[in-house]
Amino acid sequence: MHELSIAQNIIEIISEQCVRSGYSRIESVNLRIGRASGIMSDALLFAFDAIKTESVAADALLCIEEVPVSGRCSECNSDFAVEEEYILSCPHCGGNSFRMTAGREMDIIDMEVS
Amino acid sequence: MKVKVVTKILEANDRIALENRKLFDGAGIYVINLMSGPGAGKTSVLEKTLNLASGLKIGVIEGDIAGSDDAERIERCGAPVVQINTGGACHLDANMIYEVLSELPLRDLDLLFIENVGNLVCPAEFKVGENIKVMVLSIAEGHDKPLKYPLMFQESSALILNKIDLAPYLDVDMEKIRRDALSLNPKLKIFEVSCKTGVGLPEWIDWLKKQTLKR
Ligand SMILES: Nc1nc2c(ncn2[C@@H]2O[C@H](COP(=O)(O)OP(=O)(O)OP(=O)(O)O)[C@@H](O)[C@H]2O)c(=O)[nH]1
Ligand SMILES: [Mg+2]
Ligand SMILES: [Zn+2]
Ligand SMILES: [Zn+2]
Repeated sequence: MHELSIAQNIIEIISEQCVRSGYSRIESVNLRIGRASGIMSDALLFAFDAIKTESVAADALLCIEEVPVSGRCSECNSDFAVEEEYILSCPHCGGNSFRMTAGREMDIIDMEVS
Repeated sequence: MKVKVVTKILEANDRIALENRKLFDGAGIYVINLMSGPGAGKTSVLEKTLNLASGLKIGVIEGDIAGSDDAERIERCGAPVVQINTGGACHLDANMIYEVLSELPLRDLDLLFIENVGNLVCPAEFKVGENIKVMVLSIAEGHDKPLKYPLMFQESSALILNKIDLAPYLDVDMEKIRRDALSLNPKLKIFEVSCKTGVGLPEWIDWLKKQTLKR
């Protein structure tokens, strides 16, 4: 929905860090985006490419690792991942007390600079 | 050359949200981020709340893509209000709130409502400095909404299920809304209300007063 403002945030963070580390060009950036984060990878790639011109990230390639929604069941102690963007019950025992352990990530991991 | 970044993309927003929160705490106000899809009844809930919650001094920030209709409705209820126009953005962010705070008499208020832009997806992702999030879902939107838009249900402390006066005209399974919403968020407090008939609103007001005063 607001992938454009997310892309703006990314460009600000990486440009600042690139310059601060003494480099002038970003070649690629690695992100981890959870499936339950509300961010659509395609839309984010599109928005990033549209606004990266005029910055040190003008030629940067965005690489997105999508993180599946995962949980840990406190009834049978299993760790599991699901296809959906949410967990309704533990796929192993059907229990309802679980904790979501991954899927909400919106992180910049690292980047290649020169 | 590889450079580690390891930063949350919304870190800047979260930092400003924390600043807002400090200002709110310092002024002794409880802040609620009110969210829903377009037209579910956020402004109607606020109008009713302003009329019924006597004893609470309430201010409102209205977030809309354009226009000042909602702020005018609040003004007619006699509450201090500021309108933010996001100019296309689909959600309010912490900085938009920070920039209008000086326009509100923060020290005179007990409670501040921030009515977010009508959108079921992203207002839930951007903290604005609130104590809690409350969402409104109108039953006319259908019973599939919790599973289609899980994030907002997971993030909210309370769900106001509005427009229940329309139930006789709709094929909507209210039990399913309850069941799915509670599976997503077992702690969710659910109020079934109608802003048209007033049913259910006293329970909401009671809870709201307790939330505001217990802090
Ligand atoms: N029948 C019925 N109509 C309602 C109820 N609550 C609100 N409405 C109507 O629903 C419409 C939208 O209500 P608003 O309060 O403006 O909704 P909103 O969520 O603030 O809308 P946006 O700010 O535009 O997203 C208005 O025409 C209201 O009169 C209700 O309980 N029952
Ligand atoms: Mg409104
Ligand atoms: Zn289990
Ligand atoms: Zn948005």
